[in-house]
Amino acid sequence: MTTARADSTTDPVTLEIIQSALQATSDEMFAALRKTAMSAIIYEVLDMGTGITDGEGNLASSGAGIPAFVGVLDKAVMRVIELNDRDDIRPGDIFITNDPYYGGVTHLNDIVLAMPVFAEAELVAWTANIAHWNDVGGMVPGSISNEAKEIFQEGLRLPAVKLISEGTPIKSVMEIMKCNSRLPDFLQGDMWAGIAAARVGERRILDLVRKYGLDTFNTALRVFQDYGEQVALRALEGLPKGRFSLKEEQDSGAVYGVTVEITDDEFIVDLRDNPDQDPGPNNASRDGTMIAAQMVFMNITDAHSSANAGHFKPLKVLTRPGSVFDASPPAAFATYYEVEIRLYDVIWRCLAPHLGDRLPAGSFASVCGTFIGGPHPDTGRHFTIVEPQVGGWGGSAFRDGNSAMFSGFHGDTFNCPAEVAETRYGLYVDQLALNDAPGGEGEHRGGRGIVLDYRVRSNGCFFTCAYTRNKHLPWPLEGGREGSANHAQVIRKDGSVEDYAVVTALEVNEGDVIRLRTATGGGYGDPGTRPRELVLDDLRNGYLTEEQARKVYGLDV
Amino acid sequence: MTTRTIRAATDVGGTFTDVVYFSTDPLTGVQEVVTAKSDTTPPDFERGVMNVLGKSGVPLEEIAFLAHGTTLVINALTERKGVKTALITTEGFRDSLEIARGNRPDFFNLHYEKPPPFVPRYLRREVPGRMSQAGRERAPLDLSGLPAILDDFRAEGVEAVAICLLHSYADPSHEQAVLERVRELWPEASVVASHQISREWREYERTSTAVLSAYVQPVAERYLSRLADGLHQAGFDGQLYIMHSNCGVDSVETTKQIPITMVESGPASGFWGAAELGRSMGDSNVLALDIGGTTAKCSLIEGGHVKIISDYWIERTRRSAGYPIQVPVVDVVEIGNGGGSIAWVDDFGRLYVGPQSAGAVPGPAAYGRGGTEATTTDANLALGRINPDYFCGGEIEADMAAVDRTLGALAQKLGVDTAEAARGVVRIANNNMINALKLVSVNRGYDPRDFTLIAFGGGGGMHAVALAVELGIHKVVIPLAADVFSAWGMLMSDLRRDYFVTRLMSLNADNAERVGALLDEVTGASLEQFAGEGIAAEKVRFIRYGNLRYENQEHGVEVQLPDGEIDAAVVAEITDNFHGTYEREYTYRLDAPVEFVGAHVVAIAEVGKLAPVPLPTTGRRLGDALKGRRKVDYATEGIHEADVYDGALLEPGMGFDGPAIIETKGSTVVVHPGNELTVDDYGNLIISITLDSYGDGDE
Repeated sequence: MTTARADSTTDPVTLEIIQSALQATSDEMFAALRKTAMSAIIYEVLDMGTGITDGEGNLASSGAGIPAFVGVLDKAVMRVIELNDRDDIRPGDIFITNDPYYGGVTHLNDIVLAMPVFAEAELVAWTANIAHWNDVGGMVPGSISNEAKEIFQEGLRLPAVKLISEGTPIKSVMEIMKCNSRLPDFLQGDMWAGIAAARVGERRILDLVRKYGLDTFNTALRVFQDYGEQVALRALEGLPKGRFSLKEEQDSGAVYGVTVEITDDEFIVDLRDNPDQDPGPNNASRDGTMIAAQMVFMNITDAHSSANAGHFKPLKVLTRPGSVFDASPPAAFATYYEVEIRLYDVIWRCLAPHLGDRLPAGSFASVCGTFIGGPHPDTGRHFTIVEPQVGGWGGSAFRDGNSAMFSGFHGDTFNCPAEVAETRYGLYVDQLALNDAPGGEGEHRGGRGIVLDYRVRSNGCFFTCAYTRNKHLPWPLEGGREGSANHAQVIRKDGSVEDYAVVTALEVNEGDVIRLRTATGGGYGDPGTRPRELVLDDLRNGYLTEEQARKVYGLDV
Repeated sequence: MTTRTIRAATDVGGTFTDVVYFSTDPLTGVQEVVTAKSDTTPPDFERGVMNVLGKSGVPLEEIAFLAHGTTLVINALTERKGVKTALITTEGFRDSLEIARGNRPDFFNLHYEKPPPFVPRYLRREVPGRMSQAGRERAPLDLSGLPAILDDFRAEGVEAVAICLLHSYADPSHEQAVLERVRELWPEASVVASHQISREWREYERTSTAVLSAYVQPVAERYLSRLADGLHQAGFDGQLYIMHSNCGVDSVETTKQIPITMVESGPASGFWGAAELGRSMGDSNVLALDIGGTTAKCSLIEGGHVKIISDYWIERTRRSAGYPIQVPVVDVVEIGNGGGSIAWVDDFGRLYVGPQSAGAVPGPAAYGRGGTEATTTDANLALGRINPDYFCGGEIEADMAAVDRTLGALAQKLGVDTAEAARGVVRIANNNMINALKLVSVNRGYDPRDFTLIAFGGGGGMHAVALAVELGIHKVVIPLAADVFSAWGMLMSDLRRDYFVTRLMSLNADNAERVGALLDEVTGASLEQFAGEGIAAEKVRFIRYGNLRYENQEHGVEVQLPDGEIDAAVVAEITDNFHGTYEREYTYRLDAPVEFVGAHVVAIAEVGKLAPVPLPTTGRRLGDALKGRRKVDYATEGIHEADVYDGALLEPGMGFDGPAIIETKGSTVVVHPGNELTVDDYGNLIISITLDSYGDGDE
């Protein structure tokens, strides 16, 4: 039997079967986490990811869930390995981290659970998952504040420590966690969902090792990473070589700059020439910056099933410690995601004009993270909404941009149905419509964002948001027009209107309407060349007014 | 005058239309089973049905019970052959259908194309008026704008109107008012309101359901009318039932009102057949697998119950978000992997099988109709698993030169010999199917080793044993008439209706009465509907489920509720059951309050389904069924000299050990070395697998 196994280590079909089993395992962990989580942001929005790494923490499969989240897992596992004594990592353990200075990568709300998998006393793999928890303490409900100056204000820090020791939960750690959350029941539910998912993954990997033998299993992981690297190198062959640079002013006034150098076997993203870290929470960790670069790299190099550590090998990212893309302690990170998505968009914009038809025009390009909370008028319990918004994508060489999609940073993320929101949150949803704001015209126009009205039903609620692409709009390509702005309005009961892009814990009361508007994506190509029947279609569907049709598209009706 | 009782079922599939009929002599109890196949005849599918009935020789006037299943609805949807449809919805929400859920499974693709809505924006119109989530009116319905809206629809050539208002699952009265008014103002239009189909929350999903239903309604109505008329003109005077996606049949009249419920009727009847077969053999835990020409479908049956869900999507793949339809559908996982699936090698030397299929034209290379790419069927031919001299029941001469050519090209890309390439194709195809079987089992907390694998469809017998070994399953069943098993399953179906109703409340003693009242409301309405169709209450039985979860969770677990009154003690019992079910599925339980999200009530009315009796035997000896021997490549188990049997000559009581091959007109059964096979009283093939002989499986 053993001989047979040794013979099979080079059999490509067996290796393929193991690789597909790893992907199936990531999917199974995802299903387990989704179904048991307590927070809507996990089970409904799917703000989560699962994945498997090899024994050293290299991503072994493309995982499941939001890719930007899967990209956290390998980095977290590597830090867990670095920060814990090797002898102290044992079968049945589960480690927890949420702190960007301790492998957490993003912000304190995103909790990573990582479980070592041992076979024949060898550490062969890790199963890991990440999910956004509603409240981990800190200075405001929901833990995310635009006012935070230090990470200490953002909630409980979990520095890659053990949560479960050889199968036994460490009660003291769990009690400390619960005690530090405004929503301990949610925290407990979401935590067990993550634990269950990690354990499912461990079982499946052990099954695989038992069946195919450790050597074959290890070979499969290695071969798969080689394959990822080959896919990436092949894609690089098709790209123009050279150095490309762009500087772009942000809504905050800061100027972000990037230089990308593409060679035959490297894709170097140089971010050293960027501002010092932000005194507020608009910072990214170096790991987080790496993820933004990885995302663009995946878009360009056509990754599907090959998104593993090997695929990223040609990618190099240069940062300057102490800068906004490589922040040092005690920098705060609450809105890291807007920093990363801005960076992602800057790299995309930098390359788009040079890569032919590979990249569409700019999109609404903001997570549009929205936080609303307060007393539920029907149950008296506290509710919290934590949700990203959908918006318009840019037009491309091939077609109009999609309307109402989550950003390029998301994936199979779902918005919350109005019927569920009204029940769960005790708000009324007055409308959910496509945003008809002008902008994004082109031969292929940008997709529409949305208008979403939440009518507040009880006094003493709060509203927090941090939207970008508010002043500097989604960018066009090839002669298209700019898109429109992301913003939020608060329409008070007395009819007065306040306009925001960034606001923290704004008090809103019964009868106030929070109106969220997300942007139309940038246009692609000269609007004058848009076929007449498409302009007429847009007119008939109310995406255009007659005046816009005349003025921008030159339509005579 | 006749003394026979004939029950027949016809199943319109993508390629073939099948018929199965059982004729039972009431005096002797002797039963005769006849099957036939003929081509499917789009777009006039009823013609194929009449053809196959004619081919089978069944006397139409003697049929007492005729069940019918069809891919008409799913075809109309996927080929966009429905009618011009408009939507009326709540003010502020006309774009809900286009916004959808904003998700995309194809993460890295910035050129992803969101599935376009079935109704363009200019045909999506709004009416003022709001219900609350508790089903109370927040703002009165205002229908003053409706006549102008309908005028516009008429002017635009709209044929069908869908209605979906917010929170209509909680209280449909606004929706009903719109429905009635539309019917009054425009009696010729086909109209459907969401509450007629779904009483569950999530407005995008419910709107999509109403829209897709309206879109196919006129097409389906016309088809069902033509079918019924055609049958009656040809002399049929029995009861005609239509197969639904929930594994039950229903009357033509009921089906015409909500034809979208036929969307997965084909797979549903096959899985129901598998459940019935399992029950009759004392195997209540079944993994059912249907391998056809282009896809493989599987479903898990636990305790004799098929799982019926309402979270169903069409065209949902790893590359597209698809469209939801909130109707009761058998819980099925489908993958693009069948006999016609194409094997290919990527730029990096990796071998794949499917999801592209060679279809019926050109079909596998072996068809000799110009297929230039190797398929799973070609690999099975090359390995001697399919008999080249008895290909497709001897109806097609296998073009082995084309098989060698296409597999040779594949082998060259892989850098192996042709036989190794063929083995690779079979192993990869098997692995794809194993992953699908895992999705319905291990991904949901079930251990496949506790299940019997029932495999059917043209390719079921070919792959079943290999899959079972991989999953640790000890028993495989290939049913009689495996290649027309969907039609067989229809004969086993009862009249069945599934009701899903969302009504959120805490599950505690105080709410026992409310839970009871909800169940009574659903069963009462159901009985009323049956009474209207002349079916008495005593013929109807109910199975009641609660959709339960821990407070604050979203995804519920379905738990069967005890019959009878719901009181505090019963609530405690239900809660216990929930904790147990939850822990089995997710490895832990919580000390947290439990919420009742909604009810799922199944109504079943007996309509005289078939009771199979043991097949007659002639006393034929096993040797008479032996056609010969040939070399068969069992992929991971090496090459063996296998006995080849004629399936048509096998009789109850016969048995033999593998390696063996059984050939019938419609399929091939591959029996691996070490397997023990017996033919049961009803003609089903039972294969026992001793897993020890496989070591740990592979190699």
